[in-house]
Amino acid sequence: MGRQAFERVRISWAGAVALGALVMIVSSSAPLRGVAQVPGAQAASVDPLWPQPLPNHWILGSVTGVDIDSRDHVWVVHQGAASLNRRTENALDTDPPGSEYCCASAPQVLEFDADGQLVGHWGGAGEGFDWPANPGGMAVDDEGNVWIAAAGLPPAPAGRGGRGGRGGAAQTTAPPVDGHILKFSADGTFLMQIGHPGEAGGPDALGALLRPAAVDVDTRTNEVFVADTGHQRVAVFDATTGAYKRQWGNAGTTPFQTLSCITLSRSGEVFVCDQEANTVFVFKTDGTPVREAIVSPGTRGAGSVWDIALSADSDQKFAYVANGQEQTVHVLERATLSEVGRIGSGGRWPGYFFGVGSVAVNSMGQVITGEALQGKRVQRFLVNQAGR
Amino acid sequence: MSRRTILLAAVFLGGLALLLTADRWSGQALSDTQTGDMVEAPRFEVDPMFPKPLPNGWLMGMAIGIAVDAEDHIWIVHRPDTLSDAEAAADQNPPTAACCHRAPPVLQFDQEGNLLSAWGGPGEGYEWPQSNHGIFVDHKGIVWIGGNGAQDAQVLKFTQDGTFVAQYGRSGQSGGSNDTENFGRVAKIFVDPQANEAYLADGYGNKRVAVLDADTGAFKRYWGAYGNKPDDTNPGPYDPDAPPAQQFRTPVHCSDLSVDGLLYVCDRPNNRLQVFLSDGTFVKEQVIAKRTLGDGAVWDVAFSRDPEQKYLYVADGKNERVYIMLRDTLEILSSFGDGGRQPGQFFAVHSIVTDTMGNLFTTETYEGRRLQKFVFKGVTQVPRDQGVVWPLKK
Repeated sequence: MGRQAFERVRISWAGAVALGALVMIVSSSAPLRGVAQVPGAQAASVDPLWPQPLPNHWILGSVTGVDIDSRDHVWVVHQGAASLNRRTENALDTDPPGSEYCCASAPQVLEFDADGQLVGHWGGAGEGFDWPANPGGMAVDDEGNVWIAAAGLPPAPAGRGGRGGRGGAAQTTAPPVDGHILKFSADGTFLMQIGHPGEAGGPDALGALLRPAAVDVDTRTNEVFVADTGHQRVAVFDATTGAYKRQWGNAGTTPFQTLSCITLSRSGEVFVCDQEANTVFVFKTDGTPVREAIVSPGTRGAGSVWDIALSADSDQKFAYVANGQEQTVHVLERATLSEVGRIGSGGRWPGYFFGVGSVAVNSMGQVITGEALQGKRVQRFLVNQAGR
Repeated sequence: MSRRTILLAAVFLGGLALLLTADRWSGQALSDTQTGDMVEAPRFEVDPMFPKPLPNGWLMGMAIGIAVDAEDHIWIVHRPDTLSDAEAAADQNPPTAACCHRAPPVLQFDQEGNLLSAWGGPGEGYEWPQSNHGIFVDHKGIVWIGGNGAQDAQVLKFTQDGTFVAQYGRSGQSGGSNDTENFGRVAKIFVDPQANEAYLADGYGNKRVAVLDADTGAFKRYWGAYGNKPDDTNPGPYDPDAPPAQQFRTPVHCSDLSVDGLLYVCDRPNNRLQVFLSDGTFVKEQVIAKRTLGDGAVWDVAFSRDPEQKYLYVADGKNERVYIMLRDTLEILSSFGDGGRQPGQFFAVHSIVTDTMGNLFTTETYEGRRLQKFVFKGVTQVPRDQGVVWPLKK
């Protein structure tokens, strides 16, 4: 869609969208900004002016998790100063400050309202819990509680090097290995911790966690599901008491490689990302395998399946798969796990990605993405009716 | 709205814009330049959808130079080799992803943001820089390229289609700030169309401005801070409480000549702009964000496009903003921008330039790696600190 059409979009969306958005995307073959129609698939367009600029000269570090609460507020967790370069990015965080005006790491947990205004922020070490050395995914349950996985420092990305790291993350010494998940109220009050750093136990240890990458909550059964990456399994706990309930690994012949997400559907299916295996696994909540599929089989390096979110329609017809290696979001048909389109490609402009590793969908069917590595953004995409 | 209606509306608005443009530099009819926290100054709005997508799955690395030619085309130079293997995944053998490829280092865009041409890199008969830095398109249409790699002691000239024209200085041959044959990691080039002279911000190795004949490359003159003879003694890190340094502190990052013959030199880590006559006579200086450490606050300058070039724009890639200064007094009137990855925000805003309509374009280095366009909206009342200049809601 050209610029003229863009203006028309702006007119038709006036009032609903801050500025309006250029329709980009969605095609299996040419995921570039501009038009691309795939029969049966939806069109998506980036909202380039969302969210609103952060106050206090705050900047985002590498984003590791996004989720939506019942009020359609967008929650973000990011790596903060550990992922920022104090010489070139967060010079206000040094003593003395290296700059006069900008910038400082934003608090690691941020809450935006649907308009993109920052309405809450918290995070960091506190009394009675172990703040993650490095956060992973997050989930907000139906009661508004915020769950954060303590994912530990990831292995060094393959291929990083050369001068690409010149403006990159500061090297940090390795802290105790994360092995837990945390539960907070929406205002950041600590509620519960399951597992402890450095107490991973062996592969047979029931209920111990090692670098869990992601969490999700089943409100009907009051259970919290954990992608227990370091143990190559899924673990389930009581969401109120934290009591261990059950766990399972890959029922196939090979263990999970790098679990990176866990997402429950309304119908009670558990979606699990095995990032470097390029695989989506689907289970029943008791661990019974349902189906699995390879996404983007040609993807190597860090793999293709980083995070999954389900569309907002009652049937949750589509699954969005964040692929931080290919710099795109795959749109799958949930029932078949077959790909019907893509959103975005590589780059730093609006609608483009670097390290898109988190995805969530709000009640209007809009797709929210978080970028890890040097992407360090959250973006919002408007999706037409077919994707709701 | 029908196509015809849109067309008519576009014609009307275009004509209106032309009428308004003529008067937009005069500002509002206010007797005082300042009212409260507001000040009269050029106002800009970011165009969040500029430029158009690059073809071929191309990505830009650190974007470290920008220029505008006589046709108002925007030229940038970036560093493809700064893209990590993970980002340039399609260039790996075997590819680790279908996205993306490193774009050629020199990119030319039209006013709509369409990519018109792409070229650059090593070739026969010249020494391409180890680390690209700075681009300029002169009044004869020649494209100049500098370089700040450890061995880069040369500047290069090409035609606009990328045909090699000339090289001045030889890679690896820098003899320091008093060498009259080679340069020291040149940051930026500016060609004076009147005298046909090239001013080199020289640079990351040297601590001087060097002036060449733009046709022959013949060395004409050079000088250091305050017009002093350059001295390559290492001054150590910048200290905001020390007396003013009597030498430039590397990198000397810009040297741009105004219509009235004043040369504006970015003494980047010293956080100051020094102004000279074209013969190197020191005129005055302005310190900006004095307590900025490390990379410094004065990265690049551009002039407003009114006939008198009333305003001067200064890019500060450490504080992530563009200052709007009154060129006559060097007073900072206002600034815009802030840190971040969204439109109108910056990560290491490195280079700036204006087009004939007064629009301002920026490139970002480090992990910013963007070209951005800021649309000139006329001289009006603006806040001292404008923050992120998103389009005003209609």
